[in-house]
Amino acid sequence: MKSWIFLATMLIETVVVGGFALLYPRIVRKGLLFGVYVGEARSESEEAEAITRGWNRGIVASLAVCVLLGGILSFATPEPYAAVVPVHLQIVAFLVLYLRAYFRARALAPAGPPPPAVAPLDATRATSALLPALTLAAGVACGAFAVAYSWAHYARMPATVPTHFGASGEPDAFRPKSFFTVMLLPIFVLMIGAFLGGMAWLTAHAKRALRRSAERTSLEAQLRFRAAVTRYLCVVSLLAVGMLTLMSVFSVRVALGQSRGLPPGIDVLGILIAVGAVGGGIYLALRYGQGGARLEKARVDTPLTDGLADNRRWVLGMFYVNRDDPSFLVERRFGIGYTLNFGNWKAVAVVLGFVALVLGLAVVAALTS
Amino acid sequence: MRNPVLTVDWSLDEPVYEQIARQIRMRVVAGELAPGAALPAVRTLASDLGVNLNTVARAYRLLEEQGFIRIRNRSGAEVAAPAPRADASARDRLRAELAEVLARMRQGGLSPEEIRRLAEREIAALSRARDVEGGGIR
Repeated sequence: MKSWIFLATMLIETVVVGGFALLYPRIVRKGLLFGVYVGEARSESEEAEAITRGWNRGIVASLAVCVLLGGILSFATPEPYAAVVPVHLQIVAFLVLYLRAYFRARALAPAGPPPPAVAPLDATRATSALLPALTLAAGVACGAFAVAYSWAHYARMPATVPTHFGASGEPDAFRPKSFFTVMLLPIFVLMIGAFLGGMAWLTAHAKRALRRSAERTSLEAQLRFRAAVTRYLCVVSLLAVGMLTLMSVFSVRVALGQSRGLPPGIDVLGILIAVGAVGGGIYLALRYGQGGARLEKARVDTPLTDGLADNRRWVLGMFYVNRDDPSFLVERRFGIGYTLNFGNWKAVAVVLGFVALVLGLAVVAALTS
Repeated sequence: MRNPVLTVDWSLDEPVYEQIARQIRMRVVAGELAPGAALPAVRTLASDLGVNLNTVARAYRLLEEQGFIRIRNRSGAEVAAPAPRADASARDRLRAELAEVLARMRQGGLSPEEIRRLAEREIAALSRARDVEGGGIR
């Protein structure tokens, strides 16, 4: 039975990653090709289509290999970590195939000066920041509550506390009580609440990239896309932080003997959030396209401008580096959603600081347990 | 209605803050930006254009000194209404600026007759823009 669960998990992960990889070339803003601005006309040329065909063939082949490998691993070893091997291979294949397509696309990039930058002189068209601000506040409040609740009951906890819960919701692993075994989860909830809420707020203020002579169409498409991504992040953030807060509170109650396990249905809630997050990503891609690409089809032949079209600002088509640009987040050139402006030291410090904090907590927890 | 936009052309020798200030001036004079119309915050405009915050702030300060906009708070701005009447010192300063422009035009090879025709055309365009604005487009 376990083999079938591993196989199903592996299949879902691998197919989701492979499916997004096949979807990405179909949802990019016209003029972009695998992270390179090649111009609107060239992005539909025979050479561009050949590069996309090569990508599709590569992804399908790697998907087949990964599924086959996963099938063998799931029956050959009882080790649960085997289920994640194929999806990691799929990610490696994605990167290799992306770089191959990127360097082929570079040959199609236009020479000459960078395209002009365009901005609307209209102050009333900002995405509302109220929902992300409330999400950020709710996330921080939930995390603070989880921390306070755990700390308030710390002294009364027994010498050993539960550190892991099985599929039934009851604890299946215990460790000696220490600051980190008790406080790690609530601190993590606080950090996740602040991070996800913060990312939603920054997304509402992300950089806009317009087309040069279709400013209105391009602007509206992007504003709708940005608002949709912001709402998506807010919903995912609220659900995830709510679930983690429940888990944190109930792990304290279990330690105190006030409850037998996590609240019933929390595992289903977790699966629903994961499915909803993936489903929401697919919906955004199909409904809006990256940066609202699917909404601007009517006037799509006008050229893209500065933010997305200036190849000098992009490293490998993935990393936007512009020291002058005060933007934290900018549209991805390939994929769905937004990426950091790696030229903005504040943006880099925020994200690297968060990652360092998470890693630091994990290391300290491992050393002290 | 078409939204007024601003373009920064990297291939021009003109500094970026001057390009921004010049285009906003032109939009104001043409009536595309009416008195009281809110301009984007410095951060929003800098982010859209991918330029430094100080560049946009410098353009806004220049426009404020020239009387085209009013800076409302730390980052917002709105289009200023034309002054009802120029006082004596403003009149002297503007006359000096006009003399400088005329000298540059003469030095650039334009004859007095060509300069007069160009000036009349610009004054006519300015009057048309004021008429449209007065006619209630915005």
